[in-house]
Amino acid sequence: MLVYIVQRLAIIALTLLVVSFGVFVVVHSLPGNAFISQRVHGRSLQILLHEYGLDQPVMVQYWHFLTGAIHGNLGVSLYIRGEQVTPLVLRELSVSCEVGGAALIVTIGMGVTFGVLAAIRQNTWVDYLLTSIAVVGYTVPSFVIAGLGIMIFADFLGTITGGAFAYSPVWTGTYGTIGELWLPALAIGFYTSGQITRITRASMLEVIQQDYIRTARAKGLRERVVTIRHALRNALVPVISILGTTVVGILVGVLVVENIFGIPGLGKEFVESITEHDYNVTVGVFTIFALLIGLSNLAVDLIYTLVDPRIRY
Amino acid sequence: MAITLTPETLEYAGGTLAREQVGLWRDGLRRLRRNRLALASAVYLGLLACTCLVSIFWTPYNPNLVNSCPTYAFPGTPGHPLGCDDLGRDLLSRLMVGSQVSLAVGLITAAIVMVLGVGIGLLIGYLRGVVDAIFALIINVFYGVPPLMIAIVLYVLLGPGLINIIIAIAATSWMDMARLVRGQTLSIREREFIEAARAGGARTGKILFGHIFPNALGPIIVQTTYVVPAAILTSAFFSFLGFGVPAPQADWGGMASEGFSPMIAGFDPYILLWPAIALSVTLLAFNFFGDGLRDAFDPRQRR
Amino acid sequence: MAGSMGDPVLEVRGLSTSFFTHDGEVKAVRDVSFDLAAGETLGIVGESGCGKSVTALSILGLLPRPGRVVAGEILFKGRDLLSIGREELRQIRGRDIAMIFQDPLSSLNPVLRVGFQVEEAMRAHDKVAAGEVSPRSLDLLQRVHVPDASRRMRNYPHQFSGGMRQRVMIAMGLSNRPEILIADEPTTALDVTVQAQILQLLRDLNRDLGTSIILITHNLGVVAGLCKRVIVMYAGEIVEEGSTEQIFDSPQHPYTWALLRSLPRVDADRHERLRSIEGLPPDLISPPMGCKFNPRCPFRLERCFSEDPELEPVGDGHTAACWVTMKRAYAEMGAGSLVDTRPGAASGVRPPMADAPLADTGGSQTVEPQANEHD
Repeated sequence: MLVYIVQRLAIIALTLLVVSFGVFVVVHSLPGNAFISQRVHGRSLQILLHEYGLDQPVMVQYWHFLTGAIHGNLGVSLYIRGEQVTPLVLRELSVSCEVGGAALIVTIGMGVTFGVLAAIRQNTWVDYLLTSIAVVGYTVPSFVIAGLGIMIFADFLGTITGGAFAYSPVWTGTYGTIGELWLPALAIGFYTSGQITRITRASMLEVIQQDYIRTARAKGLRERVVTIRHALRNALVPVISILGTTVVGILVGVLVVENIFGIPGLGKEFVESITEHDYNVTVGVFTIFALLIGLSNLAVDLIYTLVDPRIRY
Repeated sequence: MAITLTPETLEYAGGTLAREQVGLWRDGLRRLRRNRLALASAVYLGLLACTCLVSIFWTPYNPNLVNSCPTYAFPGTPGHPLGCDDLGRDLLSRLMVGSQVSLAVGLITAAIVMVLGVGIGLLIGYLRGVVDAIFALIINVFYGVPPLMIAIVLYVLLGPGLINIIIAIAATSWMDMARLVRGQTLSIREREFIEAARAGGARTGKILFGHIFPNALGPIIVQTTYVVPAAILTSAFFSFLGFGVPAPQADWGGMASEGFSPMIAGFDPYILLWPAIALSVTLLAFNFFGDGLRDAFDPRQRR
Repeated sequence: MAGSMGDPVLEVRGLSTSFFTHDGEVKAVRDVSFDLAAGETLGIVGESGCGKSVTALSILGLLPRPGRVVAGEILFKGRDLLSIGREELRQIRGRDIAMIFQDPLSSLNPVLRVGFQVEEAMRAHDKVAAGEVSPRSLDLLQRVHVPDASRRMRNYPHQFSGGMRQRVMIAMGLSNRPEILIADEPTTALDVTVQAQILQLLRDLNRDLGTSIILITHNLGVVAGLCKRVIVMYAGEIVEEGSTEQIFDSPQHPYTWALLRSLPRVDADRHERLRSIEGLPPDLISPPMGCKFNPRCPFRLERCFSEDPELEPVGDGHTAACWVTMKRAYAEMGAGSLVDTRPGAASGVRPPMADAPLADTGGSQTVEPQANEHD
């Protein structure tokens, strides 16, 4: 087991290397530079470029980056003077994690609950309704849901209650309150929970047919115990296996949603850094994302062993 | 205990014993036709394709002409059934033209993904070994980062334009298809008729395309049908985040992005609404059709 | 039907169960009646699909979805299990009537520890005090001869062998000291040697605890090893009932007779081919008219095609549902010399041509006994 974890960490490190290098090279071949907005030309531009080390060959620059990164220093922002990339990225990471975490709760909560209910009430109106919601969820883009949500909860609700219960789609401060958080989380979660609902439902339906469910009933267990302790425990196994992809989906959702609601997280930073040609930041964002995904995939695989005792690494 | 069947026993046993044997394709098409949701989706997509073709030559108004109607006009304004946007451009015309981008991105990306994914998947599944190991490594790395981000960076690198959007999206979408085809190849190559073909002296290319590929065709087609809405969705995100086709070309994601502020400010939700509906319905249609295809050709189902 | 020991603890009266499928109503069990006395071991025998498992599932209300009991009464200690509420039935399951199933690997929850699953059976009811549950489950596992029980309690089902798993199932079933244990093909998925051990275990438990056992199987050898009384089912109906000796020594229904003939015998003539019953079980949606066995029966009268026989006594405590019965088949129809000599055929007995039924007189019509041809 320990060997397995070490192997996985090695792969993560390798991935980080490849990703950061790839992005670094690509990003430094992009046209334009970060100083355009400052209207610097000619000599002054050359001085600036030299100051930031941008006039050196790409490989040398990457080497500097790498040696710095191992110590946790991801460089300096090109756009905002003096801003260190690492603390910037870490701070925004925590904001994104807040949003992402909320979205994860919505995803799993909604997804599993809907899936279970749809399965035990198969082919009734409950099933059709929940399955339809799931299908709409994973088809419709998250910004549409966000837009609809704002339309309903900010405009419509605001109009009919005279402004009393309106949802304000503007994010104040660095971290959001529950009141501000729930709609972005829902916009992301609606999309990702759709897949979870489908898989949970399909998995439950299969599990309910199994012999050990019949045994559980024959033992005289209460129906709720049978459903949760026996059926769901087993049905969750395939759900856990797609948790990795779900996390990636949530991250994509975070990216989009942050740009809609103006949330100062990594997603917004990513788009900004590209538009402003602040490439050091772009590389930093990519690296953090890759690290996050790698670790969460590892966590998912480890959780797998807890749930299904037949799996051992 | 061997049981032999004689004609008399068949009669007396009552009821029918044998089911009508139908070919897989005919059976599948029959089931597909019975799936009303898939049929409705197909009809919608057909209409969409027609609208798209028509819009190449004609739209009610010039979609890029500013001030052809009062800005923020609501639907129902004479001559503009869907209203106008913040620059006074007719929304119906823009919606029609926007379908060109969506369909182009969706279909062309799917075609590229199919060619790339099938080609690479077949090769890897057949050759295995080192090639497979390299592929596994690439896959692992690609899955380590959200594909949307990579696609955006690629697009910025390539420069603006519809073709580049397609290239960027296709470059991050081919892996799933390759994985699927690889899996199919791995299992099909173990079957006896491949052994027979090899023994008969068939060349690798003939085996791959003449034998393995046709047998994997079912899942490939189904997966391709799912690539289309995924690509449209990604391109919508692109446009929404500001990386879409350059203005003034109308495209649904961009229209939605433009429509956000008037909607939030409260005075015109329709600029966002129409492209949002168009996107959602189109995506749903593709997904339902894909589901219908998958269910119809799943050999495990009997009804 | 005279009970052999004590009062009946279970009385099944006219039970009929059907499955309502897209293709029609599958009448899986039709008008089945029998008693189970306290401490008795009863075997229910028949081919796959004859309704024996469905009967058992009907007793405990465990029928899968399109199935439903359509008629009858199941009296357990005076109460009709088919008309009591769901909660009451739930309490009876596992506590008063327990059931164990055929495939112990798929019948145990793979993600829960074995000890937990045994304890769960007790915690679901209040018959065993909470503090006693753990020690009791250890005791049960030891009683069913699971070696190193205290350590193995913490193992998962996939870490046990087939025979061990079945022992665990038995321990689970008996944990609340039920009056009745229903065992649905408990040995079918096991090796022959393990089969014998499991049967021995059940025998001992019946003797020591006085639990009544209903054993469902298609294997006559298993029945002979454990049961005092036997019920033979075919196409959803009981065709014969009697003590084990009666059934084995003088089967009266042609199906039972054919089943016994089909058992390969070690002392058979080396040249004799294996015997089988020709034909297939009938379609339960639209079964044949008259006796359901008539397409495959070698001893048919005209009556067999039009009237479905009821169970009639053919001995002391022995009943069979047949217009002919083997007594008459031996005496008048030459059953004793029947061999099928078609080349390459399984040496069963071939029913005569459809349009030549035998007349219903005590006459000397015989089935065509072929010349006894050894290869």
